[in-house]
Amino acid sequence: MRDNVTAAPVVDRLALAMRASHVLVAIFVVAGLVFATVGVAMKDTFFLRLATEALIFAGLALSVDILLGYSGLLSLGQALYFGLGAYVAAVVLKEIPSFWVAMGAALVASLVVSILAGLIANRVRGVYFALVTFGLAQVAAKAVYNTRALGASDGMIGVPIVPIDLGVATVMSNSPAGFFLFTLAFIVVLYAISAYLLDTPFGRVLLAIRANERRVPSLGYSTRNARLAAYVLAAVVAALSGALYPMLRGFVSPELLFFTTSGNAVITVVTGGVGTLAGALYGSVILTVLKSVIGSMTEHHLIVIGLLFMVTVIFLPKGLMGFIRPSIERLIGGGSR
Amino acid sequence: MLRKTVVLTSLLATAAFTGPAIAADPIKIGVVTPLSGTYTGIGQQVRWGLELATKEVNAAGGIMGRQIELIFEDEEANPAVAVQKAEKLFEVQKVDFLTGTVNSGSTLAVGQTAERAGKLIATTVSFADSITGDKCSPNVFRVNARAGQQSTALAAWVVKQKPKAKVYFLGPDYEMGRSTVSTFKKTVEGLGAVSAGEVFAPLDSKDYTQYFGQLRQAKPEVLYTSVAGNDTVRLLTQMQDFGLLGNMLVVGASGTVTSQNITAVGAAANGFGTGVGYSTQIDSPENKKFVDAFKAANKADPDLYGADSYGLIYFYKAAVEKAKSTATDKVRDAMRGLDWMTPQGKKTMRAGDHQAVQPMYVVRVNDGQFKIVGNVSGEEAVGADICTRF
Amino acid sequence: MTDVFEYIQFVLAPQMITGLALGVAVVLVAIGLTIIFGLLDVINMAHGEFYAVGAYVALALGTSGVSFWLLLIIVPLIMIPIGYIVERGLIQRVFNMPDRHVTTLLLTFGLGLVVEEALKVVFGPNTQRPATPIPGAIEVMGIILPTYRLFLIAVGFAIVAAVAIVVNKTRLGALVRAAAFDRNMAASLGVPVSLVFAGTFAFGVALAGLAGVLLAPIYSVFPTMGRDFVFLAFTVVIVGGMGSISGAVVAGLLITQVQAISSLIVSPVWSDPIVFSIMVLVLVVRPQGLFGRLGHA
Repeated sequence: MRDNVTAAPVVDRLALAMRASHVLVAIFVVAGLVFATVGVAMKDTFFLRLATEALIFAGLALSVDILLGYSGLLSLGQALYFGLGAYVAAVVLKEIPSFWVAMGAALVASLVVSILAGLIANRVRGVYFALVTFGLAQVAAKAVYNTRALGASDGMIGVPIVPIDLGVATVMSNSPAGFFLFTLAFIVVLYAISAYLLDTPFGRVLLAIRANERRVPSLGYSTRNARLAAYVLAAVVAALSGALYPMLRGFVSPELLFFTTSGNAVITVVTGGVGTLAGALYGSVILTVLKSVIGSMTEHHLIVIGLLFMVTVIFLPKGLMGFIRPSIERLIGGGSR
Repeated sequence: MLRKTVVLTSLLATAAFTGPAIAADPIKIGVVTPLSGTYTGIGQQVRWGLELATKEVNAAGGIMGRQIELIFEDEEANPAVAVQKAEKLFEVQKVDFLTGTVNSGSTLAVGQTAERAGKLIATTVSFADSITGDKCSPNVFRVNARAGQQSTALAAWVVKQKPKAKVYFLGPDYEMGRSTVSTFKKTVEGLGAVSAGEVFAPLDSKDYTQYFGQLRQAKPEVLYTSVAGNDTVRLLTQMQDFGLLGNMLVVGASGTVTSQNITAVGAAANGFGTGVGYSTQIDSPENKKFVDAFKAANKADPDLYGADSYGLIYFYKAAVEKAKSTATDKVRDAMRGLDWMTPQGKKTMRAGDHQAVQPMYVVRVNDGQFKIVGNVSGEEAVGADICTRF
Repeated sequence: MTDVFEYIQFVLAPQMITGLALGVAVVLVAIGLTIIFGLLDVINMAHGEFYAVGAYVALALGTSGVSFWLLLIIVPLIMIPIGYIVERGLIQRVFNMPDRHVTTLLLTFGLGLVVEEALKVVFGPNTQRPATPIPGAIEVMGIILPTYRLFLIAVGFAIVAAVAIVVNKTRLGALVRAAAFDRNMAASLGVPVSLVFAGTFAFGVALAGLAGVLLAPIYSVFPTMGRDFVFLAFTVVIVGGMGSISGAVVAGLLITQVQAISSLIVSPVWSDPIVFSIMVLVLVVRPQGLFGRLGHA
């Protein structure tokens, strides 16, 4: 027992932090279930569907956090993969109204594109990475904006309502509570997969790269492969989340690929807490509520959101989670200390 | 703030006019329009037009004794936001009708949301032909003129001015800009004009001077452009700097020179001609009354967006009064084939594709004012009904 | 043969000359950006908005009767305290956090959002344009050159030369370069590092404001105008080498010429992807940019 405690204090702290994130996500899920129950009882559709949208964008934020929180790389163009998933799903659904085919297509498309783009983007780091990802997304957005087959600037409407066959039950994508619960489960699964992968040695290599990239190869790990893997993982998470968007709203538009979308995801992650994964989920809910409330009060809501964001960067650099998670860590880690 | 004031005024109005009797519930009209983002200026006109008409209708007793209440939401010129806000208005505010969308993407997406929610919407701004063409919806109406109507009117006027004119086309390089150019090109060539060449500049081009060489070499008599907003300011003022405006007739889409950018374009806009569904110069008592009231209320001239939005309230009023109900199916039936009066004269809602038929005007800029120089009857300009969905 | 000459005279030459004017404009915006990065190691995402603020201040003062020539001096002077306050009040608060690049990028990104919206509130959403200060055009061999653009090219080069001399040849510049090379070493040698930092940031912001005054008559003034140049300016800074003044000049002129000529040969719509590809290519082949960093020779 004593050996364990002295041998791996750092790993212990990381594992503890991850466990605290799990607890926070569990609280998030419970809150989501309560919300769904209340929503159904009140016969609500708008708030359930708004919350579903918040969850979908939480998936995009999660993807930004995988890059920013684990490899320290800020992506200013993650909307590229979100939009890719959305457009692929929309195109597939209009031809074959099958949920699983659409998700499969989004997965394959994001794998192919992210491996190719990752080979370019991962040659650079820091600010350069931010600008390259920004540029890639701009070029992609322009291409979509100009392609008549994809609806060009008007986007594509007419994405049908699809049944989601889960084996034990079937959820319709237009059922407010059903699709909300499905999306909640889906995003939690994406969280769990990401958290699991980032908790393996692969995740530790990423953190090591973030701390000191030059020393990692001397430990016998390939930094290039680890970084590419993180990039691809983030892209897949963004694309699969994006694929849910046309199912919820019935359309896609090029604005989904614009910088506003990428920028919002970054704001979400920073507000929620970088490097916590759980922060992305909480951040998305906070931002959605803020936008909805402030947006109905004043047309200058961007000033308010921009100021709040600046205050967060200066005074709460670890975001909301930096504020809450330590107390959870003390709670669950109290015994072992 | 805005929304609050509107709600407040309409509440006050409700209290004032229906006070003693048991106040009937107001008719709620949702307005999803860009109050921030690229199209803020257009959203402002939409709001002013709707508010003015609502004030008038409410003062005259409302619709079937019910006051109109406008509820505004900002769509940021982004379809994803527009759809979310439209759903809020439909589901939470329970609006009876919805309008305000500006960019065509928002109108199409909100139209689909309305169809799924079983509600009706109308656009007063979007001019993409597809909205009442191949992407028409039984729940979407358009009270403004579409791109086809505008370019038919303009083309007819251009060939009258310069028969067999050599026309050069300059558009913004995105799908909408290209299709606007190709529609006009086809129409004007059908009337005997010849193309002297075409060029497409990227959207938000900083500098158009790089295309001026090609333009000069082509020696056209007429330049047609479909750039809009800030791009127009740059294009026309740069052409002026380069002395290109002298002996060329410059014409363009209705969104090229608008009340949002005409001050910035300044003298470079002089002589610019376009086909539109409205002008403050229309010589009729209805229009004079409208322009005066609009100026008094907003300290600004109305433009086509303000006028069409103003007319929309009267369209809805006429339809509800004819249907004696605000139920979707009844109002839709009433709207089909409906005639109603607007500042620009009588409009007719075509039943087959939900496109308003209205007289079209060709206007030219003279010292910062649009002067009417020609007109085309509604039937001549409207074009075929190609909607097959209903 | 006459066709070829006509093409060169009427198409290619004007294209390259107007490309040069655009190049000077981009360099003016990029130079403040590159100095701020080179010295402070700060990515100023709000740089485009400072450019917009300069243009709006010029517009407002110009409408109330201040002459254009006076504006060229007044506006940078107004921008200096603004830049100074932003550096002391915002940038310094996060300067020593880990991941300075990312944190300052996020902070200035937020600042840009706020400034852009504030401009909309104060000046309204519609486009405005000051009158061209030097109207008219001269004709050389059938090519029409607006006088103001020639003036812009000349003034632009003069400004860049002045900045280069200040940074590379004066004692003040030596202090700046010393602080950029090794902050602690410079401080221990008596360089007032924090003043130098805030001063340099303010200087960069003033240059952005000056670019706003100069470019407003050509490109017009509207709340989102800052976004127009900033990506191109960032590309120029990366290709030229973060912090290198000569790099910014060479890269700025080069990229705009590539843009001008490629939009003739291929199509204008491809000019953005081409510029982006150049940026990626430079990053891959020569990550430090064509000319390396300020203070690092």
